[in-house]
Amino acid sequence: MTAAAPDNERYRMLIVEDEFTVLFALRKYFAAAGYDVDSARELEEAQALIVTNQYHVVIADLRLSGSSAAEGLEVLRFVRHHSRGTKVVILTAYGSAEIQSSARVLGAAAFLQKPAPLPEIRATVLRLLEES
Amino acid sequence: MSSPTLLQEVLADGGLMTLFQPIFEISSDRRTRFAVEALSRGPAGSNAERADVLFEYVRRKGKEIEVDRACTSAALKAAAATAVECAVSINVHASTLERDDRWVEFLTEACAAHGVPLTRLILEIVEQQKFWDERRFFRTLEQLRWVGVRIAVDDIGLGYSNYRLLIEIRPEFFKIDPYFVTSCANKPEACAAIESIRVLADRLGGQVIAEGIESESDVRTLGCLGIHLLQGFYLAPPQTVAREHAMCAE
Repeated sequence: MTAAAPDNERYRMLIVEDEFTVLFALRKYFAAAGYDVDSARELEEAQALIVTNQYHVVIADLRLSGSSAAEGLEVLRFVRHHSRGTKVVILTAYGSAEIQSSARVLGAAAFLQKPAPLPEIRATVLRLLEES
Repeated sequence: MSSPTLLQEVLADGGLMTLFQPIFEISSDRRTRFAVEALSRGPAGSNAERADVLFEYVRRKGKEIEVDRACTSAALKAAAATAVECAVSINVHASTLERDDRWVEFLTEACAAHGVPLTRLILEIVEQQKFWDERRFFRTLEQLRWVGVRIAVDDIGLGYSNYRLLIEIRPEFFKIDPYFVTSCANKPEACAAIESIRVLADRLGGQVIAEGIESESDVRTLGCLGIHLLQGFYLAPPQTVAREHAMCAE
């Protein structure tokens, strides 16, 4: 992983991911880029953080807790309900066209296939933040 | 092997830490420690270290009973480890009192195990919501009072802490939410709300505790409104068991 230069503004980010190694890599990468990063490994933990904090962006894995349910879409629904200005990026290794369509309808700002390279995720996040 | 969930970390041995925040009785010439409120924090370094995140998470997991029991045990253990002799106030979800059929039995055994008399306990009811079965809730309250526990209602003025509930519970302590208390000298509307709660408490035989004291001006204003049980960062922030022990020993 290359060290990333800090982005101009200090953005607040929540990463929702159940795989420890992926979560660790994302946390380290975005913290090094100057983001304030919180993380959650379960849906309810993410919801508790969203209720008690304001985030510019949420990156959520589609499937949490190894379950087959698309809990990432629940995170997305929850963010839309509680914090309309927050951008949501959905990450998934199982990106069917149907799920992508659901994510778009629910208001996902971006949908990335795992394993997306970290610079690509960061570029997507920056683009979304600059648009807002 | 998968790593433990946040809930498992919270409920593990040593997963919860208790801080104590004193509630003072203040008159013109004296300030005495009336009670300490036990405040639970989740594992250090986790999201649950913040109380608001901890309890929001627990409610979303539907694990209020398990976590209320764990927080209560941790608070009683901490109280037993200090020189605190005043009342100990412990938070409990209204839903726990309603749904945990063995709450009073649990509390009685936990107090005995830690050597804390039930008569020293104040149970602060938090997060009142619409009842599933209010008869069970009021039956538990009756049993608690029968064994000597006093009842406080938290966050009065907000949410479901409404007048009907206060009249039906008839708490020994009415805890006014910091929304009304902090900087009340500059908020006549807040003072009117505080006075109305005090009048209700007087009529129902209870005492008012004002939470959220952040200045000498708050202390003076509340004194003028006839409220003398005060809690807040200005008087004393939440502190560790060791610090509380040292302060009580002094």
